[in-house]
Amino acid sequence: MIEIRDIHKTFGHNLVLKGVDLKVDKGEVVVIVGPSGSGKTTLLRCINFLERADAGEISIGDTHVAFRQATARQVSTIRKQTAMVFQNYNLFNNMTALGNVMEGLVTARKVPKKEAEAVSRAVLDQVGLADKCDAYPSQLSGGQQQRVGIARALALNPEVILFDEPTSALDPELVGEVLSVMKAVARKHITMVVVTHEMSFALEIASRVIFMDGGVVVEEGAPQEIFLRPKEERTRQFLRRILPETDYTI
Amino acid sequence: MLNGLFDPATVFIYLPRLLSKLPVTLLIVVTATLLGAAGGMLLALVRLFRTPVLNQAAVVYISFMRGTPIVVQLFLVFYGVPWLLDHVGIDINRWDKLFFVILTYTLNTAAFKAEVFRAALQSVPSGQAEAAYAVGLTRLQCFRRIIAPQALLIALPSLGTGLAALLQDTSLAYTLGIIDVMGQVHAIASGTNRMLEGYVGAAIIFLTLSVALEKGFGRIEANLLIKRHH
Ligand SMILES: Nc1ncnc2c1ncn2[C@@H]1O[C@H](COP(=O)(O)OP(=O)(O)O)[C@@H](O)[C@H]1O
Ligand SMILES: [Mg+2]
Repeated sequence: MIEIRDIHKTFGHNLVLKGVDLKVDKGEVVVIVGPSGSGKTTLLRCINFLERADAGEISIGDTHVAFRQATARQVSTIRKQTAMVFQNYNLFNNMTALGNVMEGLVTARKVPKKEAEAVSRAVLDQVGLADKCDAYPSQLSGGQQQRVGIARALALNPEVILFDEPTSALDPELVGEVLSVMKAVARKHITMVVVTHEMSFALEIASRVIFMDGGVVVEEGAPQEIFLRPKEERTRQFLRRILPETDYTI
Repeated sequence: MLNGLFDPATVFIYLPRLLSKLPVTLLIVVTATLLGAAGGMLLALVRLFRTPVLNQAAVVYISFMRGTPIVVQLFLVFYGVPWLLDHVGIDINRWDKLFFVILTYTLNTAAFKAEVFRAALQSVPSGQAEAAYAVGLTRLQCFRRIIAPQALLIALPSLGTGLAALLQDTSLAYTLGIIDVMGQVHAIASGTNRMLEGYVGAAIIFLTLSVALEKGFGRIEANLLIKRHH
């Protein structure tokens, strides 16, 4: 289980997160939606300490940490229990697909090479890339690169995987292969927090949808409730923009 | 006395005498390259992390080294460093001239390499570093495993050019009285009144080395690129 309480983050004079709470149970898939600039990426980056939040606390498993005071050791403990899938994949260009997946295990966790390789080959197989182990990122399509990104996260066997718009940099015809890998991951009851505007994914897979705007959670609930019967005006406005067809049903 | 301004056969008589001083030239080049690379990397990191005070000092240092002729630097180091150290009670006036020459070329190389390294390190997308931290790598591990290998590949052509330039630049070390390849040319010239043959001999040596360097770097780069399939 992962719980975040009252997280705040400011960039200069820009209040980006104004007290967000987030609770995700084991095996849950939480989808976060919201307009561009509402702080979704910042929230995920703060959870993983790629950005240092100004206030708030996080609990993952048995670890409880105040963002601001977290020591290097606590940061590393939290990072061990979280993994991140990036919008732009961010694969290591000097390593093969296999190397990318093994890196965290071998260099950070000191897992013996043989063992790490076996684990890595298995997760690459899981994302359908068993035959691409020796390919470098530049030899892979965007969809394949993102699937390596997901394998890299899976290999670490984290408490939660954070996805930041994993399909928004992809050509439309490549979105499907990544979504189906993500659905397969979800079916294994791996805890996921996913920022995405892919409604099909949210409706089919999400346990809960959170709508963020202006650095706060405006509304949350089951996918059908948020998408089909939103209570807040801001949520309706946002949905009208990303789902033009709802215009006609009003 | 030999006849005419230029006698090709004499070149081959001088060549072994020039080659006997090649180790001195190579000592300068190799030492300055290795120490200069270490210094250049430090300067690049100081610049990249915008270390207070040191960053400004590095900027001034780098523009000075890149903006003044190497001959000027040779004399400034040869006379200036002992003078400065004399003020703090250290006497290095009697140290070998070669020490000051190597020091100058090292300081000069460090400045040029600093900018090469900085540009190369900056050109590795920062998202890869974030991904590295996210999978648990420390800053040092990230630098060693992800950033440095990619930066090195990007820097390789510039490093090759820099090495060739350094080799040529050593031709001014004779101004401090060092007997390297060029020093030997001048020694022969003043002893025999024959100028051209020595210079042609030096040209052959420098050209051979430059071409070999270029080929060598080309091969290293090709190997790395094939391995990485860019
Ligand atoms: N490193 C940063 N420095 C300054 N401002 C930032 C930084 N990262 C994000 N921001 C600002 O924070 C706000 C929220 O950004 P972000 O979290 O990326 O939103 P979203 O992912 O919802 O589009 C934006 O106004 C953005 O300009
Ligand atoms: Mg974003």
